[in-house]
Amino acid sequence: MFAPPVNRLITELARFPGIGQRTAQRLAFHLLRASDEEALALADAIREVKETVGHCEICFNLATDPTCRICQDERRDGDVLCVVEEPSDVIPIERTNEFRGRYHVLGGALSPIDGVDPEDLHIVELLGRVSSNGVREVVVATNATTTGEATALYLADAMRERAPAVTVTRLASGLPVGSDLEYADEITLGKAFRGRREL
Amino acid sequence: MPASFKTEAVVLRSIRFGEADRVLHLYSADRGRIGAVAKGVRRIRSRMGGRLEPLARVRLVLHQGRGDLCTVTSVDTVHAHAALREHRASLEHAAAACEAVLRLFDSAEPNRAAYNLLCHQLALLDSEPGGAGRAQSLAFRSKLALAAGFAPELASCAACGEADHLTGFSPVAGGVVCASCEAGSFALDAETHKFMVKALAHPLSEAPQAPDRALAQADRALGETLEHHAHVRLRRVG
Repeated sequence: MFAPPVNRLITELARFPGIGQRTAQRLAFHLLRASDEEALALADAIREVKETVGHCEICFNLATDPTCRICQDERRDGDVLCVVEEPSDVIPIERTNEFRGRYHVLGGALSPIDGVDPEDLHIVELLGRVSSNGVREVVVATNATTTGEATALYLADAMRERAPAVTVTRLASGLPVGSDLEYADEITLGKAFRGRREL
Repeated sequence: MPASFKTEAVVLRSIRFGEADRVLHLYSADRGRIGAVAKGVRRIRSRMGGRLEPLARVRLVLHQGRGDLCTVTSVDTVHAHAALREHRASLEHAAAACEAVLRLFDSAEPNRAAYNLLCHQLALLDSEPGGAGRAQSLAFRSKLALAAGFAPELASCAACGEADHLTGFSPVAGGVVCASCEAGSFALDAETHKFMVKALAHPLSEAPQAPDRALAQADRALGETLEHHAHVRLRRVG
């Protein structure tokens, strides 16, 4: 329907998550209307991110150097590690300003049904960090899903075996702030009850 | 098929899809396997997300659109199986049960026996999460194979019908074999044979126990039979 380069742009944009054909078309026309500098800045940003961003060799977070900014920051508490599934999980935890330790990104969660086994994740590296770097506590912040829970239980067992002195904790589960109790599901509400605290 | 319908199902598998959606593989009591999209359930404020996790038994309202996948429009929990999620062993055995159903029953044809068996297994693991074991999981798998029509022949030689001297197991023949039909089979201890018979005869809650060697043989026998006849490869029960 359009000129081949425009069609190609629409096809590429439609590959993004949450972007359908119509939205891809609107974005393509926005880019065509935009100034050369604006459109090429986007192309440069995509090229730069693909060429320069890799994984931190310590924690597997995203990094432009061999190690990420969090691992380089000496003010961070190296005694406490927070284990997350993906690099994108680091951002919401950082936004809380509650955690001053370091991270370890697993690269996914255990899911035998999908063929994801312990050796497919950065678990060996985590156990190595925990047993050699004087870590005091490991906070398991995997997703509150069945695969996330299975991964947390696996890590707790592995840690008990390899580094029994290390405390393994799990993020608390409960009701989201601002939500109504009547809409809570049974598992969340049950966990909130079990984890209730004295006022 | 009507545009919207109600059904009861167990969530076998959940796959991330799009920005905040999930594709669900459900096994229902009256419609067999159903694929469905649950929209927005990965968002923290989703009213449905916590109810649609794998292993949950739920009552659903689904909308059948033009595509292959239904859309979940409402969900109520029948049994969340919260206790089994707290223990690694029970969680792994429950996941293995769901995987077996996922691989063995992939059509929209309902199988009430398989559905009831899965619900029973999950409820058992939930009521005694510490008691999850290999013998019990193998008993479940034997019964599931029976419900699927692939139970191994255990009463007489699967090749010649001989009732005595059953010393081997042939996945190709689909059961135990006698000494003279042993070609292509592996050795099966009397204890393993006894375990496999009892596993089918007793209720799941009274699954028999057996030594590790017998359980490993039974696991191999069941696994290879299903692989040969149902073309389904299941992970060994850990």
